[in-house]
Amino acid sequence: MKKRIKSILLCTVFVLMIGILSVWFLLKGENGYSVSERRELAKFPKLDFETVMNGSFTSEFEDYCRDRFPARDSFRSVKAVSEFFIFGNTTCNGFYLHDGHIGKTEYPMNTSSLDGAAEKIKFLYDKFLSGNVENTYFSLIIDKNAFLTEGAKVLSMDYNEYEKYITEKLSFAEYISIYELLGADDFYFTDQHWKQESIVDVADKISGAMGNPISESFEKIKLDNPFYGTYYSQAALPHEPDDIYYLTNDMIESCVITSLDTGTPEKAEMYNMKNAFGRDPYEMYLCGSQAIMRIDNPNADTDKKLVVFRDSFGSSIVPLMVESYSSITLVDTRYIINSAFLGNYIDFSEFDDALFLYSTLILNNSTMMK
Amino acid sequence: MLFSGIPFLYLFLPLVLILYFIAPTKLKNFVLMLSSVFFYAWGERKYVIMLLLSVLFGYVFGLLIEKTRGKAASRLFLVLSVIQNLGFLCYFKYADFFIENFNAATGLSVPLLGVVLPIGISFYTFQILSYTVDVYRGDVAAQKNFVTLAAYITMFPQLIAGPIVRYSDVALQLGERTHSFEKAAVGIRRFVFGLAKKVLLANRLGEFCDIFRASDEQSVIFYWVYGIAYMLHIYFDFSGYSDMAIGLGKVFGFDFIENFNYPFISKSATEFWRRWHMSLGTWFRDYVYIPMGGNRVSFLRHVFNILTVWMLTGFWHGAEWNFVIWGLYFAIVLMLEKAFLLKLLKNSKVISRIYALVIVLISFLIFNATKLSMAWTDIRSIFGFGGLPLFSHETAVYLRGYGLTLIISAFAATPVAAHCLSKLRGKAAAAVSVCECFVLPAMFIICTAYLVDGSFNPFLYFRF
Repeated sequence: MKKRIKSILLCTVFVLMIGILSVWFLLKGENGYSVSERRELAKFPKLDFETVMNGSFTSEFEDYCRDRFPARDSFRSVKAVSEFFIFGNTTCNGFYLHDGHIGKTEYPMNTSSLDGAAEKIKFLYDKFLSGNVENTYFSLIIDKNAFLTEGAKVLSMDYNEYEKYITEKLSFAEYISIYELLGADDFYFTDQHWKQESIVDVADKISGAMGNPISESFEKIKLDNPFYGTYYSQAALPHEPDDIYYLTNDMIESCVITSLDTGTPEKAEMYNMKNAFGRDPYEMYLCGSQAIMRIDNPNADTDKKLVVFRDSFGSSIVPLMVESYSSITLVDTRYIINSAFLGNYIDFSEFDDALFLYSTLILNNSTMMK
Repeated sequence: MLFSGIPFLYLFLPLVLILYFIAPTKLKNFVLMLSSVFFYAWGERKYVIMLLLSVLFGYVFGLLIEKTRGKAASRLFLVLSVIQNLGFLCYFKYADFFIENFNAATGLSVPLLGVVLPIGISFYTFQILSYTVDVYRGDVAAQKNFVTLAAYITMFPQLIAGPIVRYSDVALQLGERTHSFEKAAVGIRRFVFGLAKKVLLANRLGEFCDIFRASDEQSVIFYWVYGIAYMLHIYFDFSGYSDMAIGLGKVFGFDFIENFNYPFISKSATEFWRRWHMSLGTWFRDYVYIPMGGNRVSFLRHVFNILTVWMLTGFWHGAEWNFVIWGLYFAIVLMLEKAFLLKLLKNSKVISRIYALVIVLISFLIFNATKLSMAWTDIRSIFGFGGLPLFSHETAVYLRGYGLTLIISAFAATPVAAHCLSKLRGKAAAAVSVCECFVLPAMFIICTAYLVDGSFNPFLYFRF
C-alpha cells in the first residue's frame, strides 16, 4: 500500500508538471522578438505537402518549439547555472565568468577572417580615400578577453600576434596602438563594450596621434537606469547590472548630429535618451546601430574633417574626439548593403583624415563587414 | 522525433498517453500502432510505407509458416521472409557500399544508387526476422491480429534504436498486460534517468569529442581523454536511449529486455559483450551463431563461425569497412581470450579491468573513424606515435572545463551509485521516496532547460 501511494505521488507530480507546461506551451502567444537574446524567435513553420515531405516542416518545428517554450529565459538561466555550478564548466554557450565580468570566448584567431577584413578595408581605402585624404590611421580595439581569459582559464587568442598580423596587412594606414591603455576595468561587467568614462585616455591617444590632443574636459553624468548588457542577456546568468554614464561638455552639446541612414539627412542625437532607457542602453551613444552618421561641430578648433570607419565601439569614443574637427562622418559597413556605393552618399574629397577603428571581435568575424 | 526533444516530451507523449489510457483495452494496441506510425513518419516520411509493408510481409509469412508447419512450404516461406527482410536491409543499407567496392576492385564505374538509409531499419528488420524464425521453430504462435503484430514491430519506444525486443518476450503482454501506478512510477524513474544520461552526460561528452576533433592543438593526453570521453559518450547516448525505451515500455505495460549492464566494469572483452548491447549480442547468438553450429563443431569451423558472426555484428552497425574491422577486431580478441588470455586475466582484477577498458577504447577509435586511415592515425597517436606533444595548453583548458563531467560520467558508468541508492532505500525507504519526488522532477526540469537552450542533440545509434 505504501509503495502504491509513493508511486501515485511520483506519477501525479510528473503528470502535473508535464501537463502544466504542455498546456502553457499550447496556450502561449506566438513568438516575437526576444529582448534577452537580441533576435526574432522562430515562427510557426510553413505547413504544406511539400514542406512536410522534404522534412523542412519537422526540423523547423523543433526549433519553433524550443523558441516557444514557456519561461524560456528562466530555463536558459537554469541551464547556465547548472553548467557553471553543477558541472563545473568554465564556459556555457561560449560565455564565462571571471572577476565579476561576463566574457565570451573568442578563439582561435581566424586568419582568413582577418585577411577578409583587411581586404575590405583596403578596398575602402583604394576606392574612396587614396588621393583624397592626407592621413589614414588605423587603431585596433582589443576586446576584454585579452584581460580576463588568463584568470578565467579559458582559451584566448594571442592578442600581440593578432595585432602584429592585422597591422602588417594594413600597412597603408598609420597604426595607433591603444593596447597598453586598456584593461578589464575599462569594460562593462555585463557587456562587450568599453565604458565611455574609462576611455578618455584612449581618445586622447588616438586624437593626439592624429595631431589633435584633447584639451577639453568632460562632465560625467550617470543614467538612472541599471544597465544589463548583451552578455548578461545572452549568458542568461544571474548578475548585478552595470552603471552607465555619458560624458559631455558645452562643445559636445553644441554639435549637430545627422543620420544619413535612409539616404535623406535626419536629425539625430549624440546621446539618445530614448535608447538609453530602451532595450540596449549602450545604443544611446550616437543612436546605436547606424550606417552613416555625421557630427558637425560649429565650435571646432579647426575646419578639418574626419571620416571614421568603425563598429559599435566607435559610438562611445568618437564623441570625445569632436573638438578638433568641424565635421566627423562615421561609417559602419555592417549596415550597408554594398560599400562600393558609399560614394553616392558621402563626398570623400572633403576629408582631411581617415580613421579605421575596429575591435578585434569584428575583424575576427568579418563576414558581417560589407 | 527524438525522445530528448521538446515536441516529443511536451506534445507527442502527453497526447499519446491521454489517448492510450482513455482508449478501451481492445483499442490500446491500435492507439499504440497509430501513434508509432506517426512517430516514425515524423522523421521518416518517405519510408513509412516500407515499414508498414515489412510489417505486412512479416504478418503474412508468419501465418503461412504456421499454416504449413511440418511441410516443405513452411521452410520456403521462412526463406522468403529472410530474403525479403535481408533484401530490404541490403538494398537500403549496403547497396552503395557493395557498388563502391565493386568499382574499386574492377575499375568500373557503376553509378551509386544514392539510397537514403531508413531510420531504424536494422532494428525492426531484426525484430521481424526473429518473429518469423521463432514461428518457424514453433517457439511462438503466429500472431493472427495484424494490428497487434504491427503494434509490436512499430512500437515507438523501441522502434528506431532498440533494444531489439523479441516477439517471444512480449507476446503475452501484447494480448494482455497490466497497467499500474507502480509500473508507471518505475517507468518514469527509468525514463528520467535515461533522459539525464542522454542530455546531461552524453551530449556534453559529445561536445567535448567534437571540440577535440576540431582542435589544432591535440596532444597524447588529449587523445586519451578523447578516447575515454567517446567511450562514455556512446555508452550514455545508447544506454540512455535504451533506458528511456524501457521506461516508456513500463508506462505502457510492457517489460522490455535490458540492453546494458555496466559494460565498463568488465574484466575481459568477452564479459564486455555480455554487458554491452545485450539484445544485439543475444540476437546474433540465437539466430546466427548457434544455427551455424556454435562451438560444437571442428576447430576450424568454430573459428569461421566466430569470424562470421563478429564480422556481421560489425557490418550491422554500418556499411563501412571500419565497422567490419571493428567486428573482426573483437572476433580476434575473443578468440585469444578463449585460448589463453582469460586464464591469465583471472590473476588480477585491476589488470583485467584496465585491459578490458583499453581493448574497448581502441575498438571505439576504430568504430568512430570515418576512414580506416583515421582509425590508424588515432591508434598511433594515442600510443604516442603520432608526433604529438604529451600535453598542450588546450588540453589543460578543456580538461578543466569538462573534467567534472568526465568524473561524473565515469562514476555513473559503474554500479556504485545504484548500489548506494539501493542500500539507502533499504535503510530509509520513506526518505528516499520523498526525495525522489523532488530530485526526479528537478532532473527533468534541468534536462528541459538543456533542450530549450541547446542544439547539440544527435542520437548516435539512429544511423545504424
